[in-house]
Amino acid sequence: MTPTRRSLLAAGAALPFLGAVPARAQRQPGVLRFGLSSFPPSIQPWVNTGTAAATVKLLIYRGLVSFAPDGTLRGELAESWQNENPTTWVFRLRENAVFQNGDRVTSEDIRWNLEQMAAERSTAFYRGQAQRIARIETPDARTVRLVTMEPMVTLPLWFANYHMMMVSPRSPTGAGSLPIGAGPFVLKGQERGVSLDLEPFDRYYKPGLPKLRGVRMIAYADENLRVAALQAGDVDLIEYVPWQAMASIEADPKLRLDAADGPFMYLTFNTTRPHLGDARVRRAIAHAIRREDIVKAAFFGRGSPLEGLPIPPGSPLFDAELATGWRYDPDRARALLAEAGVPNGFSTNILSTAQYGMHKDTAEVVQQHLAAVGIQAELRLPDWATRVTLGNRGQFDISVMGTTTENNDPDGLTNLIDGSLPASYIRSIGLRVPRIEELLAAGRAEFDEAKRRAIYTEMQRIALAEAPIVGLAWRSQGYAMVPEVRGFKALAGALNFFSGITLEETTIG
Amino acid sequence: MLVWTVRRILVSLVLIWIVATVIFTVIHLVPGDPAELLLSSGGMAPDPAAVAELRERLGLDRPFLEQYGAFLSGLLRGDLGASMIDEYPVIDEVLLRLPRTLELIAAGAILAVLIGIPVGTQAALRRGTVFDRATSATAALLLAVPIFVVGTLLVLVFAQWLRWMPAGGYVPLAQDPWQHLTLLTMPALAVAKGLVAVVFRMTRAAVLDSLSRDFVRTARAKGLSPSRILVHHVVRNAIIPVLTVLALHMGTLLGGTVLVEYVFNWPGMSTPLLKAVEARDYPMVVGIVLTISVLFVALNLVMDLVYAALDPRIRHA
Repeated sequence: MTPTRRSLLAAGAALPFLGAVPARAQRQPGVLRFGLSSFPPSIQPWVNTGTAAATVKLLIYRGLVSFAPDGTLRGELAESWQNENPTTWVFRLRENAVFQNGDRVTSEDIRWNLEQMAAERSTAFYRGQAQRIARIETPDARTVRLVTMEPMVTLPLWFANYHMMMVSPRSPTGAGSLPIGAGPFVLKGQERGVSLDLEPFDRYYKPGLPKLRGVRMIAYADENLRVAALQAGDVDLIEYVPWQAMASIEADPKLRLDAADGPFMYLTFNTTRPHLGDARVRRAIAHAIRREDIVKAAFFGRGSPLEGLPIPPGSPLFDAELATGWRYDPDRARALLAEAGVPNGFSTNILSTAQYGMHKDTAEVVQQHLAAVGIQAELRLPDWATRVTLGNRGQFDISVMGTTTENNDPDGLTNLIDGSLPASYIRSIGLRVPRIEELLAAGRAEFDEAKRRAIYTEMQRIALAEAPIVGLAWRSQGYAMVPEVRGFKALAGALNFFSGITLEETTIG
Repeated sequence: MLVWTVRRILVSLVLIWIVATVIFTVIHLVPGDPAELLLSSGGMAPDPAAVAELRERLGLDRPFLEQYGAFLSGLLRGDLGASMIDEYPVIDEVLLRLPRTLELIAAGAILAVLIGIPVGTQAALRRGTVFDRATSATAALLLAVPIFVVGTLLVLVFAQWLRWMPAGGYVPLAQDPWQHLTLLTMPALAVAKGLVAVVFRMTRAAVLDSLSRDFVRTARAKGLSPSRILVHHVVRNAIIPVLTVLALHMGTLLGGTVLVEYVFNWPGMSTPLLKAVEARDYPMVVGIVLTISVLFVALNLVMDLVYAALDPRIRHA
């Protein structure tokens, strides 16, 4: 048929009626459509492959314990746990916990998992922790007794982490195969790079859960498209809500935002470089930066200043006075520089990355504030991969970093400030403060809560004086959803990326 | 002709080998360790022993020349290796993603032809009128506006305001043809944006050129109807250079749909290439870039062979 002017006009006139045709797939009742920030590179349960993968892992797998929505520990595969003596923890497994292949979860299975994680050729994120378990005893099918090399009050926290999920020893092996878990959902299928479909596991050990009839996880790497997909009704819930979109989502009566401060930005130092080995200079830097400017510039006001070590306000070990120990005080910064013999400042560089706006914006604000007290810093902004390598090799003076601790316990700070650990892009290079290392070790070994508090209070005081890192800003981490989504909750503080655990109790419609 | 063809094929194979070597070397020279990066996701510090173990498992601890030798030997067997992240075969990833990118480019090109040729012809016929100026200005605007702006506007208008389309994504054709075509519409329009302008400009210029030719004057003198002159003599002659330019632009789009695929969440070949570069997933980067290069070289080879078949001067040169 030859197109005519009349047929083109008719086609144009019909355009508005296209809306009558369902352009998007209809929502299936009870199936949640979750907008992920990226397609998980891998969902191998013991390997750290990022937070999108963590959310999927929290659907398929379960560990011995987990974090409840209020942040406390609760039983999962283990119904109870207790500390027999400072080096021995005993976990009692549930009677009804089964893997998704129908096998009952036994103490021997837990032993096998821990041995695999600790093995010589293991790439497990918790390999180091698993290797600190000296002995695994399995007196019966439901009891696991773990004897650690040294007293370990934080051991149950390890088992709540999404990197320490338990899988069936009889899982298929080989390229592309996925270990079998005991979580509330089973991976039904996936369109590589696009979406994952999960359906409920009908023998999940919690009666009545999961409540959803399925979860469809769709990857939207572009944060703006992720928000658009939610606003257009393509998905019901999204993670990693961009800060610039939070206000419009809050203002939209058809949407709901659930955000909490959790991850944070901070500075690390290469203390082998001129002047930065002097704690007074690091403290001067800490006092020279007005954190509110970072929160405004990098996070659109969605976050809060971090003027001490990153211990969240909700933590029982939070101390309000110590939390502002590095408050903005440029006069104090200049005085400290003068005391350190550099009254006119010095030249240095700041390593960050142009790949992530928040890292770049934070570095720019820091650069401006350092210039105000006489420290001239040149910005180095390679891509993230190069930034990580330069950080690990110590090829920088000052670096901007963003992360979260593994949990809300102050022991989570160990990775950031324990100078005895191997060089890493997440902590300062060449800086050892023996007293901090001793106190961190003591805090891990102390079972008395009051004594622990005293230990961490002292540790914070020393850290404020030594400035092994400098806290900059808490950043808000948000989920947005349609009002029909109920039961999903963003966990606070460092546990924000564990929020996927609440999907087992989530309903829609 | 046979000797010339064999020589031309050998030159193409050498070209592919050079490209493969350059990509392999460059990606290994760029700072960033795949094992370290993979285990550092989310700003975490991995256990150095785990990193060392992974490096060994991935073969990254071997000397560069040994890695290069293994790569070449795999290449000769048609094996592009596997992703360092999840061990997925690179060739499977390419076979999965390439048709999606080609589909996107083809859809964009079809739209460009359907819009660009008629509008370009009309603009030429109405040279100097308001219509001509308005369409020429629109073409200039389409070329000037960045693709991510157009993409974002399309999402805003059609997905968020009018709610006629999903914001983005992908559904396989076999699973849901209607949904597949719906999801293809906006990215295809975005790809077509630049192509429409190119096709429009080329058509307008070529039609104007044809209109001033002697054969058109002769046709008019013979008393042929204006529509017959336009369709059978003007447009038919003008369309050849237009399609040649379009084909060249489509070739460059093979690796140039990154932004469109990203903005509309279209899982073509650009997205895994970008991710692989970020993660320093060496086999995936080399495999995808090599595939694109091979397609270019093959396209050129075919064109050379066709030209040579048509014009003996080329093969005897």
